[in-house]
Amino acid sequence: MMRRPRLDLRDQPLAGGQPLAFGIGLAVALFVGTLLLLSAGHEPLKIYTRMFEASLGDPDAWAVTLNRAVPLGLAGLAVAVAGSMGLWNIGAEGQIMTGAIAASWVARIGGEWPGLILIIAMLIAALGGGGLLALGPAVAKAKLGVNEIITTLMLNEVAIRLAQWLIHGPWKDPDAYNFPLAPMLPEQAHLPTLFSRAHCGILIAAGVIVISSVAVKYTAWGYELRIAGSSEATARYSGISLPHKVLTVLVLSGGIAGLAGGVELTGTADRLTESLSNGFGFAGIIVAALALMRPSGVAVVAVLFGAVQIGGQSIQTLGVSSSVSTILQAFVLFGAIGAGVLSRYRILFEGDTHAVPEEVNK
Amino acid sequence: MRSKIAALLAVCVGLGFALVSCGSDDGVDTKAAFVYVGPVGDAGWTWAHDQGRQYAEEETGVETAYVEAVPEGTADFANHVRDFIDQGFNVIIGTSFGYMDDMVALAEEYPDVVFEHVSGYLMNDTNFGNTFGRMYEPRYLSGMVAGSVTKTGLIGYVAAFPIPEVIRGINAFTLGVQATNPNAQVEVIWTSTWFDPAVEGDSAQAVLDKGADVIAMHQDSAAAGEKAEAAGARWVSYNSDMSAFAPNAFLTAPVWTWGPRYVAIIEAAQDGNYSPSSYWGSMADGIVDLAPIASDVDQSVVDMVMEAKAAIIAGDLHPFTGPLNDQDGNQVLGAGEVMDDGAMLGMMFFVEGVIGSTG
Repeated sequence: MMRRPRLDLRDQPLAGGQPLAFGIGLAVALFVGTLLLLSAGHEPLKIYTRMFEASLGDPDAWAVTLNRAVPLGLAGLAVAVAGSMGLWNIGAEGQIMTGAIAASWVARIGGEWPGLILIIAMLIAALGGGGLLALGPAVAKAKLGVNEIITTLMLNEVAIRLAQWLIHGPWKDPDAYNFPLAPMLPEQAHLPTLFSRAHCGILIAAGVIVISSVAVKYTAWGYELRIAGSSEATARYSGISLPHKVLTVLVLSGGIAGLAGGVELTGTADRLTESLSNGFGFAGIIVAALALMRPSGVAVVAVLFGAVQIGGQSIQTLGVSSSVSTILQAFVLFGAIGAGVLSRYRILFEGDTHAVPEEVNK
Repeated sequence: MRSKIAALLAVCVGLGFALVSCGSDDGVDTKAAFVYVGPVGDAGWTWAHDQGRQYAEEETGVETAYVEAVPEGTADFANHVRDFIDQGFNVIIGTSFGYMDDMVALAEEYPDVVFEHVSGYLMNDTNFGNTFGRMYEPRYLSGMVAGSVTKTGLIGYVAAFPIPEVIRGINAFTLGVQATNPNAQVEVIWTSTWFDPAVEGDSAQAVLDKGADVIAMHQDSAAAGEKAEAAGARWVSYNSDMSAFAPNAFLTAPVWTWGPRYVAIIEAAQDGNYSPSSYWGSMADGIVDLAPIASDVDQSVVDMVMEAKAAIIAGDLHPFTGPLNDQDGNQVLGAGEVMDDGAMLGMMFFVEGVIGSTG
């Protein structure tokens, strides 16, 4: 008889902890990657050097990596906040789009406003735009128990079509010869630069991540959230209003993803484009999962994820095909970050019991 | 004596430096980098550009490189271009419309690098130009072939996005169809995709089910052709000769030949006399062409198409010549009038005989 494996939370992390696991995972990933690169006829050392230099090698590289980490981190946070309550927001990709759409809308009416006011208004609108897209699934889940995975997922397509419609239709730039382009953002709507090419989005993302981590970990609101996430019955018994919680958490999650869209719009893009979300919403699910749904872990994972993406993409200029580069990114990601997960969990098989060491008394 | 030797040495050293610096003056190697929106294996748009890159590398001996599958409107494009420039590449060719904003900004940031943008409309005065081709010419010819083989009189056109480039292609194709089959109609179905085999295949199937027996298309996959093959219908592919994907269905295709244009850009950059332009090359220039016509098409049709091709190249035939009415019967061009480039570049209406809407 097959014994099914399952992940079991260790009572104590492995000796050496996550740094050690990270190192071992990275080494394994690089070894497997070396085989891949050799089989594709490349020089692994040259490729790895390039990956590192392009992502973490100097301040310019850090700037590019951090710019990438911003949408990944916010999208990851969106998923993690919902995940703290056991909810799956698979709709961050679409919420990023509606966030960017709402921010573009503000930029359209506030073209003459001073920069700071315009940017703040755009970011608030982005929060609202993302939250609005999550509102439907949130209400359906809270009132009718409709599975939020399905509804949030399906709305991604709606949001991207909405952006397409706007760009091809009412928001088409009249100066673009009928090309499907939204107009450029006003000059003052661009986020200021922090250093090199890194924009201030990293501060916004860091701030939101800190606030959310504190809220989930240390406030009564966050405590109720985590109780509801671990056991519905307990939550009900202690008088927590589950529908209300579901509603606020899912809408908040959508809002955070929407903010990612707003920051991406004001930080990176010059105008609303159909591909602005660029897969960040789906990558955010991986970020959150690798951060074990803890908002505090999202920042670290997002920077690593960003570095892997930027480094992985950069080796294409050395002649590595995009598919080999993507496979390599996956190896490094799951080797390095996935090992962190295994350092906190162990694999048990059906029938094994969760043995609690005696000295740990929880 | 000693001073003479010293002088001689000085001259030699001086000469040596002069030679070395001479060498480095023209010694800035030209290296050309290409950024593609799709994978080079798409057999369509990106594949055709990569054929052009390989051709240019062979012809000029210049080192080339590429990155593929780079999405538009994200930071990825600029990241790749900066990587290339760091490695000494000084000609950057971007082959998708959505790279335009980044190319404008990068061209300003790197004035010593030549930027050429395929399918856009912006340029500057020094180091940034754009390239495209009059694909409507071979589209018209492919329409003539399609019109000659349809029996049901309904031709399906699996179209990408309602933008002037695509609409111009549909109209030119339809006018070609009408040249050989005045009563045939072209039904347009929008996919809102450039490369999504599943959607494009399903869309082709939908028009086949309505009775279309020829399918034309404007995406980068061969999915529409595979559906036509399965249904026993015929197919006009696009971008490249895709006959291998649907050997029985394949009729012909309007195709891109980017190589010579890339050679011209790279050689101009090499000689230091690149000057930006809005290049809209024609069949006479060789940047667009018609793929070989399937062997089972009547020789009389082939002859007629070849005659029309020669007339277009000679400048005697223009697909958009009046009398020309739009879909609703309003006159667009009077008899003998030829549409100007501006009107073609911004075309947002369908000609008579097209079923569907531009929105």
